[in-house]
Amino acid sequence: MAKEGSESILQFTPLQSSVDEGFWHRLSFLKLNKFGIDDSPILISGFYAPCSHPQVSNHLTLLAESLPSDSNDESAAPPIIRSNRNRCSVPGILYNTNTMESFQALDKQGLLKAEAMKIWEDIHSGKAVEDCAALSRFLLISFADLKKWNFHYWFAFPALAFDPPATLVDLRPASQWFTLEEAESVSAACNGWRNSSATADVPFFFVSIGSDSSAAARHLKDLEACQHDVQKLLFAFYDPCHLLNNPGWPLRNFLALISSRWNLKTVRFLCYRENRGFADLNLSLVGEALVSVQPGWRERQCVPNAVGWEFNKGRKIPRCINLAKSMDSTRLAISAADLNLKLMRWRALPSLNLDILFSLKCLLLGAGTLGCQVARMLMAWGVRKITLLDNGRVAMSNPLRQSLYTLDNCLNGGDFKATAAVRSLQRIFPAVEAEGVVMAIPMPGHPVSRQEEKSVLEDCKRLNDLIDSHDVIFLLTDTRESRWLPTLLCANTNKIAITAALGFDSFLVMRHGPGPVNPNPNLKAETETSLAAGIDNLVLTNTDGWHRLGCYFCNDVVAPTDSTSNRTLDQQCTVTRPGLAPIASALAVELLVGILHHPNGIFAEAEIANSNSGGNFELPLGILPHQIRGSLPHFQQMTLVGHSSNSCTACCSTVVSEYRNRGMEFLLQAINHPTYLEDLTGLTELMRSANAFQLDWDDEIEAADDECVEL
Amino acid sequence: MDVLHWDGTLSAKDFRVGAFAFSQKWESLNSGFPPWVWVLSSKHPWLASPEEEGYLSLEKICISRPNEEDIDQISQIDTGEEEIGCPGNEDVIDDATLVQSSHHELHYCDFHIVYSSTFRVPVLYFRSYCSDGRPLPLDEIEKDLPACSSKELSKSKWTFITQEEHPYLKRPWFKLHPCGTAEWIKLLFLSDTAKPKFEVVLELYLLSWFSVVGQMFGLRTPFKISN
Repeated sequence: MAKEGSESILQFTPLQSSVDEGFWHRLSFLKLNKFGIDDSPILISGFYAPCSHPQVSNHLTLLAESLPSDSNDESAAPPIIRSNRNRCSVPGILYNTNTMESFQALDKQGLLKAEAMKIWEDIHSGKAVEDCAALSRFLLISFADLKKWNFHYWFAFPALAFDPPATLVDLRPASQWFTLEEAESVSAACNGWRNSSATADVPFFFVSIGSDSSAAARHLKDLEACQHDVQKLLFAFYDPCHLLNNPGWPLRNFLALISSRWNLKTVRFLCYRENRGFADLNLSLVGEALVSVQPGWRERQCVPNAVGWEFNKGRKIPRCINLAKSMDSTRLAISAADLNLKLMRWRALPSLNLDILFSLKCLLLGAGTLGCQVARMLMAWGVRKITLLDNGRVAMSNPLRQSLYTLDNCLNGGDFKATAAVRSLQRIFPAVEAEGVVMAIPMPGHPVSRQEEKSVLEDCKRLNDLIDSHDVIFLLTDTRESRWLPTLLCANTNKIAITAALGFDSFLVMRHGPGPVNPNPNLKAETETSLAAGIDNLVLTNTDGWHRLGCYFCNDVVAPTDSTSNRTLDQQCTVTRPGLAPIASALAVELLVGILHHPNGIFAEAEIANSNSGGNFELPLGILPHQIRGSLPHFQQMTLVGHSSNSCTACCSTVVSEYRNRGMEFLLQAINHPTYLEDLTGLTELMRSANAFQLDWDDEIEAADDECVEL
Repeated sequence: MDVLHWDGTLSAKDFRVGAFAFSQKWESLNSGFPPWVWVLSSKHPWLASPEEEGYLSLEKICISRPNEEDIDQISQIDTGEEEIGCPGNEDVIDDATLVQSSHHELHYCDFHIVYSSTFRVPVLYFRSYCSDGRPLPLDEIEKDLPACSSKELSKSKWTFITQEEHPYLKRPWFKLHPCGTAEWIKLLFLSDTAKPKFEVVLELYLLSWFSVVGQMFGLRTPFKISN
């Protein structure tokens, strides 16, 4: 497209900026480690190259290398310029402020003028002829918010403004202006210019064409010397712009140089553009500009007006980029953790439900050997909401076995475990939502005085609220009695409860069955009518033939004469083989994940490990047992099933309805009277009859040796 | 060693040799694209390593041209406080500046082929950004990929994208996870009816590998594996 005859104002295409992420990373690094609050201007380099695509303009690019290197010298030396044919280096200056206010308060006019003056100086002193890249000098102002990782910035490409502006006499593709021979020769000359390492990064030059149509590309400083046999002379420059009707921005200062240094009024120019690394004379433009006399330009002191602040989508405002995703360490930790879990899902377990894990709220009663390990395992599975309850302080022997504590936590009497554990979790994974509750769990058979009654009942209420507000409760305390109240409360509200208990060299991990109150949704239709009378009159649904799985205390009752072997478990058993706690904790969490992925959840039936099942599981995570009992001396593990007992002191319907009817009063009674619960559930009665039976047995012992049967 | 007993992996030295062969072949066949450049880089600059460690780099490939409606969504944050503008007499209209109407926001992609010593296979690292340098998140990148790719990504167990630290640049980049590479490369060569010798397989490794992974981004390599 040719423009002829009409003398319109020569309009230049603004240069556009492109800042590589690496630049911001490097600036942040320098700011944090080198500059600190020093906000003196920094010398930087920008890079651009001739346009290489007919539809896309090139930009002025900033990279990590644009900023000074790591060297420790204090001088404001410009960074090592590593330019090549695709990255012509141009000098720039960066004003990076410490606050948003100072960013906004920068004297933008003044700064632009200061840079324009440098260009003007270079033109007058002749430096611009020697080192012409300085004609494209640029300015960058920025404010780096290193907390939110927002980078506010604004480029200016100072251009000396002609007044009156230059006019365009002619502009057309170079291939239409040169003859065929000339075009060939010019291409060759330019390609030579571009391929020579000495000139590849020199963005302004001139092309002379002799009478024999041979062309040569030469340094600007050779202009005056080269006068012989020059038929045509074009001022060439690397043009990043692709448009066919407008030359690129670098031409502005080039024209200023040409007109003031060599006093030319008519300037023939070549906008050099490429395609695939070679001169493209269809894309390149040849034009003729008319520069009128600029009053005052002869005077060195008189600096012309400058324009050049970059537009941001048509408006003269700064830009902002947020890099939190790639720079904020917490975000990076989160995405790495998510990645890990997603990999598990993609590669091995497509039905893994990560959403359920992310939104799960877990309450851990006990922050000791079991609590610490369970918390870590939960985080590894992607659980983020963890509450730890413990009234103890970290003791000197704890850090060895309780994996969230270190020696620091033991000093000065010891930190509260609950709070120390939370801090530790946050250090491991900042995005965890952890809370610590310092509280003792009220226990039956541990009577309280009148004065303590009120606070104990408050604790009961608080525990009740905590259980209500969480989805899963882990019973990880070190006494049997402390598990009673949580078991009752979970049975009352059908919260998933998982118990882990340690003996010296054996462990038990189990999931409590659902409570007697709200029956299995599948049976809801049948029981709804019987519920008509009201919640208080609920009947244990055992009569329907549906057996609930038992809780921790059900065991005691189901096999009364066997309870001796069970009682060794966690009867104040503070000494255990160290390997047990990690094993039991890990199993407890894996058991939970199994429950969460079972369609019936807490109502899931129990399965036992069967050597015949091989690798074929109905559910992807494998079987869902009720109880796992392990023994270290045998390196063995068994899965067992125990159903609920009508006389369970913690979860039978009698106890639960008493609690529902009398609330705190019932709890107080249970706490204060050691035999109350056993009386209530009829366990006392059961024991009495068992003992009676035993007495009979003793009488006949001599007579029936060979008929002895163990109960 | 023959292909049957091969596990599909590559030594670091084979990778380097293969990388040069690949970039040469690429240049000779793919006149539409810029060449792959070998970037010399060392993870351990303090070791006087005689070996050339590095990776292949192909940068600023334009992968999309979203339409006008997307432009409003690709906006900056905090536009409220950006109303400071530029006071003073620069607000005089400069006739010599071409006022451009709406820009088409273009997306660019950088590709690096890096050797993974853990998996002993090449890994394709990539990242995408707008013309002003703003990095693009994964969901936006996926919109730029050819339609069949997003299906592939969601169902194939061999192709998925993860975000990890670039081993040389130490910044988060995306990559096509390499855990399945050895498996499918071996299958690829085993199913090749030409039954190439093992030496040939090593030479063609990167070409074959890229002819598969490059398709994820619509970068088709116009040559056959067996040739």
